[in-house]
Amino acid sequence: MTYYRVKELMVPLAEYATVPAGSSLLEAMLALEKAQAEFDHAKYRHRGVLILDKNKKVIGKLGQLDVLRALEPKEDYTDDIRNLHQFGFTSKYIQNVRKQRRLKGAPLKDLCRKAATLKVEDFMQAPSEGEFIDEEASLELAILQLVMGDHHLSLLVTRDQAIVGVLRMTDVFGAVFHAAKECEITIQ
Amino acid sequence: MKELKALFDRIAQRTNINLRELNFDVTPFIKNLVPLQQMVKFYAFYGITPNHPLDLQFRHSSLAGSYFLGKCRTVNSILYKTDIRGDELKHRGDVFSYQQFEIPVSKDEGFDIEDSYLIKTLVHNYSHDPETLERFFIKDTISTHYANIHGSPSDGSFLGPFATVDLTTMQDCVIGTFSYVQTGEIAHLNVGPGTVWIRKPGEFNFLYRHPLQRLNDYINFSAGRPPQGFIIDFVEDRKGAFQRVFEVVNLEPIPVPRSASLDRYAVVKPKTQIGENVLVAQRAYLQNASLGKGANAQENCYIVNSRLAGFNVTAHGAKIIEAELGQHVFVGFNSFLRGRPDCRLTIGKDSIVLPHTIIDIKQPLTVPPEHLVWGLITTQADLESNSMAISDFSKIDGGLEQGNLSFEGRGGSFVAAFRKRIHHILEANGAFFDGAANKGHAQRNQNISFNMIQPYPNGDLAGLYPTIVIQP
Repeated sequence: MTYYRVKELMVPLAEYATVPAGSSLLEAMLALEKAQAEFDHAKYRHRGVLILDKNKKVIGKLGQLDVLRALEPKEDYTDDIRNLHQFGFTSKYIQNVRKQRRLKGAPLKDLCRKAATLKVEDFMQAPSEGEFIDEEASLELAILQLVMGDHHLSLLVTRDQAIVGVLRMTDVFGAVFHAAKECEITIQ
Repeated sequence: MKELKALFDRIAQRTNINLRELNFDVTPFIKNLVPLQQMVKFYAFYGITPNHPLDLQFRHSSLAGSYFLGKCRTVNSILYKTDIRGDELKHRGDVFSYQQFEIPVSKDEGFDIEDSYLIKTLVHNYSHDPETLERFFIKDTISTHYANIHGSPSDGSFLGPFATVDLTTMQDCVIGTFSYVQTGEIAHLNVGPGTVWIRKPGEFNFLYRHPLQRLNDYINFSAGRPPQGFIIDFVEDRKGAFQRVFEVVNLEPIPVPRSASLDRYAVVKPKTQIGENVLVAQRAYLQNASLGKGANAQENCYIVNSRLAGFNVTAHGAKIIEAELGQHVFVGFNSFLRGRPDCRLTIGKDSIVLPHTIIDIKQPLTVPPEHLVWGLITTQADLESNSMAISDFSKIDGGLEQGNLSFEGRGGSFVAAFRKRIHHILEANGAFFDGAANKGHAQRNQNISFNMIQPYPNGDLAGLYPTIVIQP
């Protein structure tokens, strides 16, 4: 059976969508589109953008959900709605209040204009404990970290403290699937 | 004063321990809020009547300017100008109804105040907690100016100025300035300033949050300084009038109808008219006020240049200035209703002004009859977003979001609960007395004898009272 190491499965940093700190959300989305166009569509389906500081060091990650959250009208997430749970209001009621406010809020085209003004570092997720894995680590360790840890979608791959790539769940799943097929052939 | 200082530190520490989860430190709020030298200046007093039990015990406590009626044990506590009014405590043999339970009361209920610091606070009503029927406890709790602890046992909590906890057992909570909570039970909650929260699980949930920036003009409180704003200014401006009633032993009685009760510690200014079955409690302030039959003015109420048509409830701490109130208008706790001489406030009959409502107008304003009113109102537009015909509110079934109000549940149930409560208050106050039956506080609280007790004047124990047990 094939023995996989993380560095064989990861998306190298050079092929991943990145933007420098200070970029707008719109620039991040354009970088994502460019990465998608430049690299093999079948192999990489990019879902996030890495944010780099001036020394090209990764300081955060901006996922699709982060972008959607950034564009959401803030009144949907204000403390007065969040706190309704604390005061015993049901989820159904709170959801309804959000819907009502959304209907009164700005249309989507207005929200998209915001994308050109909002900065990526205000919405990115900074790397956190348990999100890193060494490029020499085995597939088994990568599975363990994805399944048991707090970062289920992807891990940041390191070489001597520096981030050199991204290991996505889909890459890990692909390797597992391949290994499983090998087992099936052996059994037959 | 060494002992009193140590007692103050002990209470602050114990409350802080309870509030550690909320990361709330009471010390900067209460340090120097009332200089401890004040505790030597004022006598405490208690009432004796044939209609109420007499069982008072004071140990290692300071009681400056505080009033006691009924049954109360006070240990390791500082009570400053606080009213402990035990005329609604449960009696042995009463039966307490809770959900499907009918629970017999095995002995007379009493207040049990321990390791607490209460400043100008009203403690009244009875414990609504079915788990502690005979003991209305207030423990490791600090309350500040004009707070109301009403039927609400409390453990490890802090109440900001003009905060009210009503019919709710609370544990380890912070109740913000000018907030009102009536929810049955709360624990480990920090309720922000200006929150009005009334909840009956499964029936209704009413939550109004005052706009803080505007509320701050009326009342605000921050660490290191006393409460500030129009409401506290209004009260402070009239403080001098109370000095006379507390300093003079034999005041000339003010004639009132035989069925009415005017407490000798209330202030009554000229042109005031008191009708039959009216109750005026201690520390109430009446000036050019007309109280029609069955109306009442409870502790810390101010009624100035106003007419109340009759059967009006003016709950603890409410203020009514330059206003005309129709019959059966209810004004909730700590509400501040201020018209002007040239633009008066009119509230139509059978309307309900919810607790902690502020109406402050510079143009004449009329609340139509049978309306529910809440929140902060200074204009006609505010009134439209912060009021509703009771008949319309009663039709709500599900939810409503209007202005700063969030409401979930059945409006009819909410209105019915208030109506029932208002009727009970009028009944308890003796508003329906017919000369023989339906006696209430207005009839039973007449002719109270008051006795004074005093603290050590100086030395290590200055400000503390000796252990005193007062029983029949």
